[in-house]
Amino acid sequence: MNAPNIEYGILGPILIVLAAALIGVLIEAFVSRRYRYILQTGTAFAAVALAFLQLVLIRQTSSKAAVSSMSIDGVTIVLQGSVLIFGFLGLLLIAERGFQSFTAQAAAIPGSNEEQKALVSGLQQTEVFPLTLFAISGAMLFPAANDLLTLFVSLEVLSLPLYLMAGLSQRRRLLSQEAALKYFLLGAFSSAFFLFGSAFIYGQAGSTTFDGIRKSIVESGGSDQFLLVGLALLTVGLLFKVSAAPFHAWTPDVYQGSPTPVTAFMAAVTKVAAFGAAIRIYYFAVGGLVWSWRPILIAISIVTMAIGTVIAIAQKDIKRVLAYSAIAHSGFLLTGIIALSKDGLNATLIYLFTYGFTTIGTFAIVTLVRDSGGEVSDLNRWAGLGKRSPLVAGTFTLFLLGLAGIPLTSGFVGKFAIFTAAYKSGNISVVVAGVLASAIAAFFYIRIIVMMYFSDPVEDGTSVVIPSAMTVATIAICAVATLVMGIYPQPVISAINSLAFFAG
Amino acid sequence: MNSLTILGLLPLIGSAALFLLPKGSDLLAKQVALGVSIVVAIAGLGMAFSFNRSATGFQFVEKHQWIPAFGINYALGVDGISLLLILLALVLTPVVIAACWHEAEGGRWSVKNFFGLILILETMIVGVFAATDIFLFYVFFEAMLIPVYFLIGGYGTGEKAAAAVKFLLYSLFGGLLMLASIIGLYVISGNQLQAPTFDVTALSQLSIDPVTQRMLFLGFFIAFAIKAPLWPFHTWLPDAARAATPGTSVLLLGVLDKVGTYGMIRFCLSLFPEASKEFGPTIIVLSLISIFYGAFLAIAQGTSSGDGNIKALISYTSISHFGFITLGIFAFTEQSHSGATLYMINHGFSTAALFLIAGWMISRRKSERISDFGGLQRVTPIMAWLFFIAGMSSLALPGLSSFVSEFLVLVGTFARYPIPAIIGTIGIIFAALYILIPVQRALHGPITPGNENLTDLTLREKVSIAPVIAVIIFFGFYPQPLLDVINPAASATLSALQITGIMGGK
Amino acid sequence: MNLAAIVQDQTSHAEAVLFYLLAPITVLSAVGMLLVKKAVHSALLLAAVMISLAIFYILNEAPFLGIVQIIVYTGAVMMLFLFILMLVGVDSADSLVETIKGQRILGIIAAVGVGGLLIALVSKGNLGHRLFGLEMANGEGNVQGIAKLIFGQYVWPFEVISALLITAALGSMVLAHREPDSDKKDQRALSEERVRQSAQPVAGLPGPGTFARHNAVDIPALLPDGTSSDVSVSDVITARGHLAKPGDFKFLETSDDDREGN
Repeated sequence: MNAPNIEYGILGPILIVLAAALIGVLIEAFVSRRYRYILQTGTAFAAVALAFLQLVLIRQTSSKAAVSSMSIDGVTIVLQGSVLIFGFLGLLLIAERGFQSFTAQAAAIPGSNEEQKALVSGLQQTEVFPLTLFAISGAMLFPAANDLLTLFVSLEVLSLPLYLMAGLSQRRRLLSQEAALKYFLLGAFSSAFFLFGSAFIYGQAGSTTFDGIRKSIVESGGSDQFLLVGLALLTVGLLFKVSAAPFHAWTPDVYQGSPTPVTAFMAAVTKVAAFGAAIRIYYFAVGGLVWSWRPILIAISIVTMAIGTVIAIAQKDIKRVLAYSAIAHSGFLLTGIIALSKDGLNATLIYLFTYGFTTIGTFAIVTLVRDSGGEVSDLNRWAGLGKRSPLVAGTFTLFLLGLAGIPLTSGFVGKFAIFTAAYKSGNISVVVAGVLASAIAAFFYIRIIVMMYFSDPVEDGTSVVIPSAMTVATIAICAVATLVMGIYPQPVISAINSLAFFAG
Repeated sequence: MNSLTILGLLPLIGSAALFLLPKGSDLLAKQVALGVSIVVAIAGLGMAFSFNRSATGFQFVEKHQWIPAFGINYALGVDGISLLLILLALVLTPVVIAACWHEAEGGRWSVKNFFGLILILETMIVGVFAATDIFLFYVFFEAMLIPVYFLIGGYGTGEKAAAAVKFLLYSLFGGLLMLASIIGLYVISGNQLQAPTFDVTALSQLSIDPVTQRMLFLGFFIAFAIKAPLWPFHTWLPDAARAATPGTSVLLLGVLDKVGTYGMIRFCLSLFPEASKEFGPTIIVLSLISIFYGAFLAIAQGTSSGDGNIKALISYTSISHFGFITLGIFAFTEQSHSGATLYMINHGFSTAALFLIAGWMISRRKSERISDFGGLQRVTPIMAWLFFIAGMSSLALPGLSSFVSEFLVLVGTFARYPIPAIIGTIGIIFAALYILIPVQRALHGPITPGNENLTDLTLREKVSIAPVIAVIIFFGFYPQPLLDVINPAASATLSALQITGIMGGK
Repeated sequence: MNLAAIVQDQTSHAEAVLFYLLAPITVLSAVGMLLVKKAVHSALLLAAVMISLAIFYILNEAPFLGIVQIIVYTGAVMMLFLFILMLVGVDSADSLVETIKGQRILGIIAAVGVGGLLIALVSKGNLGHRLFGLEMANGEGNVQGIAKLIFGQYVWPFEVISALLITAALGSMVLAHREPDSDKKDQRALSEERVRQSAQPVAGLPGPGTFARHNAVDIPALLPDGTSSDVSVSDVITARGHLAKPGDFKFLETSDDDREGN
């Protein structure tokens, strides 16, 4: 037996991030506390930048790698690039030290003296940096995985750090811990479904690789129960990750409970990774079963849009509103998968790319509005923000308009592309549902804008803190991206269109 | 760069300059805004004189690739209809700026922002009327909501935030329905043409199956009916008009809402001829309902003893007027079409006059109630007379501009649909009521206590309203220049519908 | 070929007997694990499930997997479970309060529905390929076969799992590791502190009877200046009134009245 060949070059981006994560762990173990922060951030940023560089170098690749476990092709490149960019922005937010989003010591009992002491003495869980890098590497693996086992392992590599990081919020520790536990339990549950489904598919196809599954569907005509059962269970696992209804229940709690920088990171990166994997599965592996899965995804897409938009209206917490908005966006994104065409593929990738910037920017601004106790997420207390700090309110308005998909923001380009693709594929029902959902969604985005501009500020200590350059940079990059990709999206669209092909 | 682009960019640059002004330089901001808008208006008029009246099709055409991946172009061009609507906007903007010199001072934000928003709005209006690419049209259609939203919400009175939100949501909802239809058209064009396109001229060549055509038509039509506003899609209008400042109302009702009726002509009719014919009778019924519904509500405002609101009254009259316009559009005769287009222009001017003068009355009297304006005829004769003239124009008195258009609409409609035309004519009687009752009660009646010391119009106000009154009177006697521009465009639209001659088609 | 038929066809008698014997035990243990209230019982039932699974693996000619299952799960993981249970307390039981009314009923209905659906579908399923058979999988020996897969086809996911394990280790450190309490004083600090507080005798309290006539517990010590020290006698004795007074030791007859009269 020959030693298997691992293509280190094209797996480079992932390996760089993983190596940096390991260095981060070593830093935790051996470096004095005083230097950890600077070393950790240096390593993390350098790794992400290097990985991106390597990704640019290998952008023309289109082949299987690591004994067909991975598929490094145009789609992967686009998705990994998105993950790296959003990961970088997320890291900038996580590294912010102007105010404390993360708990000083996760092991301290909430509300105890010990916790207080840790906070006062300026302790920091610098472990979040290697954890974030692990999550980024998982998010890079997930959409590139080309067999069910790798897919499953990547899913866990992506999720496990997120479960942990969800529980590290400084503000409302108990809520944060509850969120982490809920995320972990439901995530484990969905992983079980995922694995169960994989087993069935393997049983039918006799192979775990996507190529093998694809071939087996062509040969068998795709009418087998095993395959359908397996696909159904696999779908449950994936839909959990993308927070599509009815598997969305964790989303609001976790978004609310997590430290806001982590929420920003999670909202953008998980969505890219999970939809990336979903695209590969539905487009490539089980594309032949489209008549079986399309009706189900249509129903789920419509329900997701409806639940996301309607329930968001009733929310009073800004992070919960944004969580439901993320659910609604999952519904919109599913229409791209339903389309099952090159247009749908392009549109989904464009949507993910534009959405990531907007959502990170939104959460970055949420971290700024604070009072003495930490972030203020109660919507009523955002009243009059436009008067108090016009610049922040203006930028937030831009992001909200982007999320609502108003023309001249990037959100509109994504929405237009994805609805066009769905319409072209003949699935007009999801387009109509999407349009109606957008109208409902506009209501709660506009409600926040009204709150900020047309209500008088309440003097309750809510203020906008002046962040360090890192958060400012994040917000600026996201705002510029939202605007520029809204006004002149052509370069991004043509880049994605020309790259987005699967390796056969 | 083409003249249309320059025309659109000028106000935008002006607004950018305004936003950059330091705080507190209100007077300078006003002067800059006025200066910019006058320059733009003169440029627009100059452009109009080089417009070839005998040619059909779009002129001043400009086309650049914008998002080639989707076949989206930055394509501008005007025909007679859009040219006149752009001119309407360009003329009314300096009038509004001059007339509403102090209007923004009680607002939530600074004065310079108010005028900056108005100039942005001017850019959007030029864009929306000049766009010949549906995608570009949609972008302007949605984007122009934002400045109006802030104008109403930031500088209005009363329930301004609620009114602004209502306006925005209604328009967004309509816009999204239109978006679905636009996507549909785009996909069909991809199937039928070599490459998918958003070009209006190319899209009007498509042959769409009846069912799809009906759906797509409805998407567009509802969006435009909300904008226009046509009964039963009008409910946002009274709130918005009541909350908005008079200047904003002028731009909203006088110009912006014309996008609705303009869109019906430009898109509904030319893209979906079959569906338009199919839905024509239904829409005519809706138009008639609008005519009477608006009139009745206006009369109710005018006659109510206590709290008849003058802004609400004017907005209800507009619903009635828009009924006439849609009646003319969907009667499918050349006369009715020309009349409807002319009506859009005339309604713009007469509503502008009504709102501006009403605004001056309100700001002097500090009340919006009609019953509070008793005896203005004696205290402030010039203001009262000008209001009277504007009102007469609104009820289409012969010799004033609206008469010609209303006459053309009714005559044109009679040729195809006699009974609706007759019913519509009855609407004119109600129009007389809703104007004359408040005029008689407010202006000519005894002086209401508190009115004794009101001052008449200042020189600035007189100068600013003068062009509007002049237009109303001039085109009342001599509408031919306008009709010369409109007629070729109207007949082109109708020939696209394949309805020839007045009685043809049926 | 229909799965049920394949199973019928390829299962030997002894295997079938063992399967039908163990399958109910496995399922019942699994269900019981969820239903019992005490954590220890639950853990033991889990062990039963795992052992049965191991037997199934061995039955299916996957001895390596079966033995690993026993060593790792039943051995190591179960022991960890039990240790933790000991730490938390054997008696602790979960409170099973429904926060959503009717949740349990709905849950059961949904579970039975999904389970039924799965069973119904799977029992009719077909394999999309020929049966490969165990001969092929175990051709070079069971362990060799697994090794080939792990270090051949699946080497990448196998390596990636290391990231998962490191994350888990790091995570447990984050969640459980506390910084040593910096306020806790060491012996030196404590003794220095004691010397500074001069009101307290540095060398500890004097014992009863020191320098006094008797060294019984009720005799206060005498300080260098000849006075008696109150702190040298236990408070209890003082409270009971048994404290001896210097006068008690005169060479006189002592009377009971004197002693009790104080």
